[in-house]
Amino acid sequence: MVNPVLLIAVPLGLAFAIPIFGLISKRLEKYIPVVGMLFNLVLSIYLIPKALAHPIVVSIGGWSPPFCINLFVGPVGVFFSAIIALVGLLVSIYALDYIKEGDTGKYHMLFLLLLAGAQGVVLTGDIFNLFVFYEILCISSYALVGFLRDRDGLEAAIKYLVQGSIGTGLVLTGIAFIYGLYGTLNMADIARHINSIKPAANFITLALIITGLGVEAAIFPMNAWLPDAHSSAPSSISAILSGIAIEVGVYAMARVIFTIFGATDILGFIALIGIITLLIGEMSALKQNNIKRMLAYSSTGQIGLIVFAFAIATSYGIEGGLFQILNHSLSKALLFLAAGYMIYRTGSMEISSLEGMGKKMPFTSLGFTIGAFSLVGLPPFAGFASKFLIVKAALIKGGGLYTCLIVLALFGTVIEGAYFFRVVQVLYFKGKGGTLARQEAPFAALLPFLVLVLLIVFIGVYPGPVEHVLNSAASEFIHRIAYIQGVLR
Amino acid sequence: MNFLYANTYYIAAFGLIFIGLYIVMAKRNLVKVIIGLSFVDSGINLLLISIGYIKGGTAPIFSRPDISPLKMVDPVPQALVLTAIVIGVAVLALALSLVVRLYQEYGTLDIRKIRGLKW
Repeated sequence: MVNPVLLIAVPLGLAFAIPIFGLISKRLEKYIPVVGMLFNLVLSIYLIPKALAHPIVVSIGGWSPPFCINLFVGPVGVFFSAIIALVGLLVSIYALDYIKEGDTGKYHMLFLLLLAGAQGVVLTGDIFNLFVFYEILCISSYALVGFLRDRDGLEAAIKYLVQGSIGTGLVLTGIAFIYGLYGTLNMADIARHINSIKPAANFITLALIITGLGVEAAIFPMNAWLPDAHSSAPSSISAILSGIAIEVGVYAMARVIFTIFGATDILGFIALIGIITLLIGEMSALKQNNIKRMLAYSSTGQIGLIVFAFAIATSYGIEGGLFQILNHSLSKALLFLAAGYMIYRTGSMEISSLEGMGKKMPFTSLGFTIGAFSLVGLPPFAGFASKFLIVKAALIKGGGLYTCLIVLALFGTVIEGAYFFRVVQVLYFKGKGGTLARQEAPFAALLPFLVLVLLIVFIGVYPGPVEHVLNSAASEFIHRIAYIQGVLR
Repeated sequence: MNFLYANTYYIAAFGLIFIGLYIVMAKRNLVKVIIGLSFVDSGINLLLISIGYIKGGTAPIFSRPDISPLKMVDPVPQALVLTAIVIGVAVLALALSLVVRLYQEYGTLDIRKIRGLKW
């Protein structure tokens, strides 16, 4: 059997080998991320049936848990790792042609480091190890936001850096508290002893960690960095930040709340925060004229919906949240990648400058349209299934709070429809075709579009196999005793 | 008084963290903001170290037979702090290099004047 630790080790090793490959040939550098992510994708898909049958616990260093750092490769781990590898692979294919200027070797190295960090966060079973991988992800994304070295990028990067490092500081303080209280860093071992301490001490620790992780996940009061960072970064990086980085933040929050603390009593508050995030994100997106800022605010809104779905905390709710994560990763990556080439052609980020793009770049525009429809939740696409599942979960859960909140969430979806349809209208039905000649994006960009569109349609029409994985993943979050027993046999 | 004496390290650690947070929030100069971040880092490192600290303790190695295990310092927080210091240095280096670039672009370090992006 292949050791799942390779999912982290291979991207990490290849990332630091990129400068060496660069010495041999500069043209070799950009193919390394493709190779690394292809390996990860194949390995993750190979591991899915095994992890569904029985979670794989890898002990590093030969000691048995809780004395070693262990990886927990359960359904959640392989699900996230497959998404990261898939989106990472497609974006790295896109970047083959898109990233031409600047220090491209450093770009590819940081890109692969970001993905290695994300893989580490979703697979690890040790809370300090989670923090370290989280910092790898954060530091490489700060650097990538400022990669173009223009005014906007630098300003966004320094804002992101200051807020992000305060956030990770809070996480580390929380981890220090955990170590002081329990004398262990293994997640399962902490979870086993969580009820042996006064609730007040646990609450402060939980609040510190959730607040810190919430900065990276862009939950409402801490989301000021997101629109700047996502709109000023190169489009391929926006796709990765929106499609992977914030989802990893949500994963870490869910892991801390459900598995480690088992804190079901704060979920009403989390649901409320989620809906506030959703409404603020969607309303800010509605009044944007800059297409990338609009997509960035829309990410905030989607994160709000995902957090709300997790906070329902029934099997359906968590399944819906995970499904929405999958849908958001695919659709938002597609939207940012398509928008990237449209901006490249027109030279402007204003929505009005995209008039008539439906005729000049038909495939790119079609990709953008399908991504937008899927994110809004129109029937034949993946978004419909995920939003339907969330609404169903909230109604089954019942109670005044959740019913009111799901009504507000649907209202947010209507706003979302309004601004996405406005862009689609500009693409196809406005303008008389300016001076630009008809020219499609290069093949290296069209291939990711094609794969993403096919996946969105396939999952929307035939969600069965995905739901099978999501079902086991949701039960991993709900049954924390099984998680503890799985690690500490 | 006894409380203060027993918790000196924790009080100092949280003092550093709060001073750092105050600097980040109140100062207008980017370099000072980054110094604030460094304060927060040091505070957290001190907090971590003091969790495992024993007064008059020694390294957990059975080098001499007369060292009792009760007098041994917990090594795990020290390993954590070592990692945290390295991460902190990386963040500070990146932040300072971004500030150098920002100064070249804007000609100022005042965050009130660096407002290219609208809110």
